[in-house]
Amino acid sequence: MESRAVYFDGETAHDRAVGIHTADGFVVFSGPGVAETKWSIKGLHPIDTPTTGQPFRITHDDRPGARIVLRDEDFIDHLLAQHKDLKGGYSWSHLKQVAGWTIAGFVALFVLGWLMLTFLPQKVAYVLPDEWRNRIGNQVVKSLVAEAKVCHSRDGDAAKSALIAMLAEGSPDMPAISMEIYDIPVLNAFAAPGGKIIFTRTILESADGPDEIAGVLAHEIGHVAYRHPEAQLLRLTGLQVLISMATGTNGGDLTSNVGALIALLRYTREAEREADSYARTMLEGANIDPQGLKRFFEKLLVLEKGADAAKPELRTEERTVMDRVGSVFSTHPGTEDRIKELGPLPAGKSPIPSLDVRQWQALKDICKG
Amino acid sequence: MTVTIETSTAPEKLNFEYVPRKGLLKLTVINFLLGIVTLGIYRFWAKTNVRKHIWSCVHINGEPLEYTGRGIELFKGALMVFLIMVLPAVLLIAGITLYYGPGSPEAALAQGMVFGVFYLIAFVFWGYAVYKSRGYQLSRTNWRGIRGALVGSAMTYSLLYFGSILAKSFSMGWATPVMNTVLQEQITNDMRFGDAAFKFKGRAGPLYPTYALCWLLSFGALILGSVLLGAAAAGAFGETISMAFGSLFGENTEPTTDQWGIIALILLGLFVLTVLSLLFIPMLWAVYVAKEIRTFANYTRFDGAQFHLDASTGSVIWLALVNILILIFTLGIGWPYINQRVVRFVIDRIRLDGAIDIDRIAQSKARMDSRGEGLADAFDVGGL
Repeated sequence: MESRAVYFDGETAHDRAVGIHTADGFVVFSGPGVAETKWSIKGLHPIDTPTTGQPFRITHDDRPGARIVLRDEDFIDHLLAQHKDLKGGYSWSHLKQVAGWTIAGFVALFVLGWLMLTFLPQKVAYVLPDEWRNRIGNQVVKSLVAEAKVCHSRDGDAAKSALIAMLAEGSPDMPAISMEIYDIPVLNAFAAPGGKIIFTRTILESADGPDEIAGVLAHEIGHVAYRHPEAQLLRLTGLQVLISMATGTNGGDLTSNVGALIALLRYTREAEREADSYARTMLEGANIDPQGLKRFFEKLLVLEKGADAAKPELRTEERTVMDRVGSVFSTHPGTEDRIKELGPLPAGKSPIPSLDVRQWQALKDICKG
Repeated sequence: MTVTIETSTAPEKLNFEYVPRKGLLKLTVINFLLGIVTLGIYRFWAKTNVRKHIWSCVHINGEPLEYTGRGIELFKGALMVFLIMVLPAVLLIAGITLYYGPGSPEAALAQGMVFGVFYLIAFVFWGYAVYKSRGYQLSRTNWRGIRGALVGSAMTYSLLYFGSILAKSFSMGWATPVMNTVLQEQITNDMRFGDAAFKFKGRAGPLYPTYALCWLLSFGALILGSVLLGAAAAGAFGETISMAFGSLFGENTEPTTDQWGIIALILLGLFVLTVLSLLFIPMLWAVYVAKEIRTFANYTRFDGAQFHLDASTGSVIWLALVNILILIFTLGIGWPYINQRVVRFVIDRIRLDGAIDIDRIAQSKARMDSRGEGLADAFDVGGL
């Protein structure tokens, strides 16, 4: 089949009229100033989709800059019949490319998410310099306790030190910690980065004996030993990085907002089990009866179930971030399962009280001093 | 021995025409759907498809323009910006949080400094992005097999651009005609089609009467509006007003029904004033924009031929107004139509007086970037 066309060689803007025909899977064209050229039909590409009434423009793999402009509808149909890719539009290679990059994007996001939220935080938590941990810890404590008073008394502080020393006795690898009691009317205890353990006045008042507080302290030391607070903060930072990247914003400074702080204190069940098992070993090492911790958990469970109704109305000036954090049970999930796992001391070990009566009273009254 | 006869034709006049084609609606819908499915990654391909469509509607002497850019080039450009600019900034911010502790004043200060540096970089490179984007689009625009190019330095343009931002703000806008002329001259003189050059020659002086008119009128309108409103209100019921607001902000007092009425009336007045200034002032400035478009076209020559662009104030207002309405009522999905309207606005009005020996124009030797518009995409200054 023969026709006429216009040829641009891609070297100059000169348009050249050519005669064109197809032969054995090739288009062959020549004309004044254009030597006879053979292009394979398979190698032809459409510039636009063929549209009735519009010239149809094609190019070829061998000469990507050159153009042939066809106006003869019959010849165009003849070519289209031999090579359906010339119809243009959405080609498979085009869609495959887009799909490929989209999938690559998802995979990258998923891998990055896994790295930053699951794999890295716990690992990095162990190599974070102590100087950084302390600074971060101070900031977290500051945001959480806000204006609340930190409690000190001579005898109370002595009792506190005695309790820590007793726990440390059986666990030579105990991490460096500090324990502070704050005058906050919420029932909670938590560990912040840098080994900073915070007790509230209310949790001391709810305990019926020093063993209960020793148990809670051992549990929090467990969190410190496993660097759970640091890992949680790193996880939050990772989340912020992911959000920033996905949205192109600064991610809304997650780590300094209250909701995020609450999330910071909410450990996974696995982390709680780790801290529990650490506490068991520590209490056994110090010959303190783990039943104290168990009793305390059980008591809290009962308190908690009735607490929502009987929650004391707090005056607004006492409402701190801690109120929104809530009590032990909102930050320590799965308590009922965990109570079951707390057994007595192994046979042959007789428990010794963690504090004497006078020391215990001094510790309980530390906020009155 | 065969003798090749060059079929050289006489120089001819170039005629521009926008010939609409079907398919833009389908393109818009498919782009939108694929954009959702790919969580936005498709937008680089979407942009490319829309450009291909619009370019192919622009006919010069019967031959359409051709857009040869590819989605993957835009994607790689954006990826590069992400890796060298966004990612380091995000990681730095996160690192600062970890170093100083969350919520500490030191962290806030350090992060503020990081953002400050980031914005400064953005300002300095804004012109770079504009220039690179224009260069990319020109190098992907073919007509009769010949492509365009921008052959100068993007860095020079960028510094000039940064300087123009400073000059405009320090002069309260009065440097605008001069700076715009200098910028337009810089970029136009770097423009090529094949080996044929664009030339820009002209002074900012003729723009100043229009600029001064617009500046003074909008300044005057703001002052006059506020004074009129204030005076009318105060003159009519000055004391009642102060009493009404006195009871509104005073302790232990509640405005009476009448006083509420006056307060509402004043707030309504302020609202009307705001709406008027939002509509009136941009419309006023359309007078200058149209004047600038016409003047710059007159200052521009291509291969000896002279451009004209008959943009009237009304047409500029209409273009902007309808584009904003399209943007609002299609929730942004209709952006291809906005691009089409902008191109069509220019093509319908542009004229090139003088004949050009088209056949003589040879292919551009300028290097083609393999990535496109990353920074322009990030700053959203890509134009089309």
